Amino acid sequence: MASDSHAAEHTSPLHHFEVHNIIPIPEIAGIDLSISQAVIAMWIGIAVVFGLFMLIVSRGVSPVPSKLQSIAEVLLEFVRDMVNEFIGKEEGKKYFSFVGTVFFFILACNLVGLIPGSYTITSQLVVTGVFATGIFLMTLVIGFAKHGAHFLSILVPPGVPKIMIPVMVPIEIISMIARPISLSVRLFANMTAGHTVLAVLFGLAMTAPGWISWAPFGFTVIINGLEIAIAFIQAYIFTILTCVYIGDAVKLH
Amino acid sequence: MAFRLGIEMAVATFLGAAMGYALDSFFDTKPWLMVIGLFFGVAAGGLGVYRVAQEIQFTDNDSNEEDQ
Repeated sequence: MASDSHAAEHTSPLHHFEVHNIIPIPEIAGIDLSISQAVIAMWIGIAVVFGLFMLIVSRGVSPVPSKLQSIAEVLLEFVRDMVNEFIGKEEGKKYFSFVGTVFFFILACNLVGLIPGSYTITSQLVVTGVFATGIFLMTLVIGFAKHGAHFLSILVPPGVPKIMIPVMVPIEIISMIARPISLSVRLFANMTAGHTVLAVLFGLAMTAPGWISWAPFGFTVIINGLEIAIAFIQAYIFTILTCVYIGDAVKLH
Repeated sequence: MAFRLGIEMAVATFLGAAMGYALDSFFDTKPWLMVIGLFFGVAAGGLGVYRVAQEIQFTDNDSNEEDQ
């Protein structure tokens, strides 16, 4: 943020990505543990998911689903189909709860961020980077626990002639390490880009003369609708790639 | 799913060059490992894009009767 005046800071389209501490907590061992709006947005995301499912369960589940119950069933079956397809029916049961948690948490955080005035934690590379790195380390642990040293053969694609192995191994290492980076950057970039577009259009609506300012404002409404679709699509892509990566580690080709 | 392709290519290329650069500063062989790493990165990106494309084709054929 190069601007020095207070007014210019508020019209910057990137202004709402800044993290501000709301409840300051003194540093413990050099780590800043203050409650920022990102932390609060994360809590809201957790509360939305937890509240929705607790509401459904507390009403009692029946063989003939109520409206809310069928929403939950559709969502859970959607996740279960993904897990079944990419990890496998038997193996997938172990990872279903993790994959479901990832999906619902990211979806809730994306959607919470679309409420004007709230905060999108998935627009921070740190947050998505931690998700993706955690998933990457998890696949490594799963792979080594399941296959032992044989897991290293993931670096050699099947059917490669012996001469090509010294060439293929660095290529596979690069594409392996690129996975968590592309996973995190994709979610972060999509959310950041969408919210920046919204902020720019809002800026136009605020500064344009009255007779035309309805046009950018109308666009913000349309883009907001598009952003809801993107929130779902990005949560879906993140989850499906999580399944693919876990499935690769489990099945090993 | 198609917008996975671009980022796959870019990240792999960048990562290959960055790893080559890191190895360069480690072994003091500037700039050769970076050049080699860049080529490996491009190859890895191409491979990644090929795999994603294959996957898309595969799932499209799979779900033809349900979706389209």
